[in-house]
Amino acid sequence: MTLVGLDLDYVACVVLFCVGLYMLVAKSNLIKKVIGLNVMETAVFAFIVTSGMIEGGQEPIVVAGSAPPYTSPIPHAMVLTGIVVAVSVTAVALALIAQIHAHYGTIEVDELKELP
Amino acid sequence: MRVFALALVLVVAATMVIGIAGLPPHGDPDGPVHTHVGARYLEQGVAETGLRNLVTAVLLVYRGFDTFLEVVVIFTALVAVLALPSATRQPPQSRDESAAASRRDTDDAVPVSPVVFLVVRLLAPFIAVFALASLYRGHVTPGGGFQSAAIIGAMMIALGLVFGREHAARLVPHGAKAWLQALGPLVFAVVALVGWRLTGAFLGFPADEAAHALREALVVILEVAIAVGGAVILAQLFMALDAPS
Repeated sequence: MTLVGLDLDYVACVVLFCVGLYMLVAKSNLIKKVIGLNVMETAVFAFIVTSGMIEGGQEPIVVAGSAPPYTSPIPHAMVLTGIVVAVSVTAVALALIAQIHAHYGTIEVDELKELP
Repeated sequence: MRVFALALVLVVAATMVIGIAGLPPHGDPDGPVHTHVGARYLEQGVAETGLRNLVTAVLLVYRGFDTFLEVVVIFTALVAVLALPSATRQPPQSRDESAAASRRDTDDAVPVSPVVFLVVRLLAPFIAVFALASLYRGHVTPGGGFQSAAIIGAMMIALGLVFGREHAARLVPHGAKAWLQALGPLVFAVVALVGWRLTGAFLGFPADEAAHALREALVVILEVAIAVGGAVILAQLFMALDAPS
């Protein structure tokens, strides 16, 4: 399916990425920034997985009753790696935010800038 | 800030739209993702690795280094989170204060609804069975170690939310906790060295037909280690973050 000559799946990924980027840059709350980062990551994962899809393809598991074309297994494996890294980044970021809250009592960037 | 963010988003969006306009058609069987190394994996994967699930084949056999470092990354994240001082591990002099603070927190906390309590308690065994099925059937259906780890980890986190952290922490045997947290990287290193001994390549898998059973055993060991180690790490990450501060 296309939208003004662009593939709709890719356009959806770009829109999702931009929503996440806006959250990351415009929001002052650190938790919201982390959520924005996760939205961006999801957009990238969706983009990579969808790029490996094939017209009428099946999942790349060769068992009785499955037949080519198969979707490419490489994007799936790469995204699995990416998801683990994304989870790790989120966990460390949240732990640091908890520290910031414990020390300064706020997680708003503009309030943190005011601190002496 | 908002204007700057909008401008940045517009510039990035425009760049990416130009980028996707130049991509090969989506789902095209002749696109580069389907014609280079991906096509070779699909043609030779089953014969070369003996694995029917080609995503697992790519993950563990063709790109084992990638996955090895991946379990190291999540283990490192756990180490980083645990290295930060948390409210539950404060120095002795402020323990009374923090105990009082956590008591206040529990008093203010909204009690768990009986519906949520019952549903989580009823569903937990089924979630665990689903995770085991995803691991056990991972070679012929979508699933495998990481998926199973995510499901078990989510179950432990749900139990921790409903029953309290102390109860959920008992799901992981205390004496074996440190070993289970490091299970993924440790088992991966052992399997990599076994592969080195057998094939001369780090993380190599014996390719000949006679070693089929051994190769399968190595993959199963890796998958189980990823599932158990990953689940324990996910639960521990949550427990560490959950501490009231």
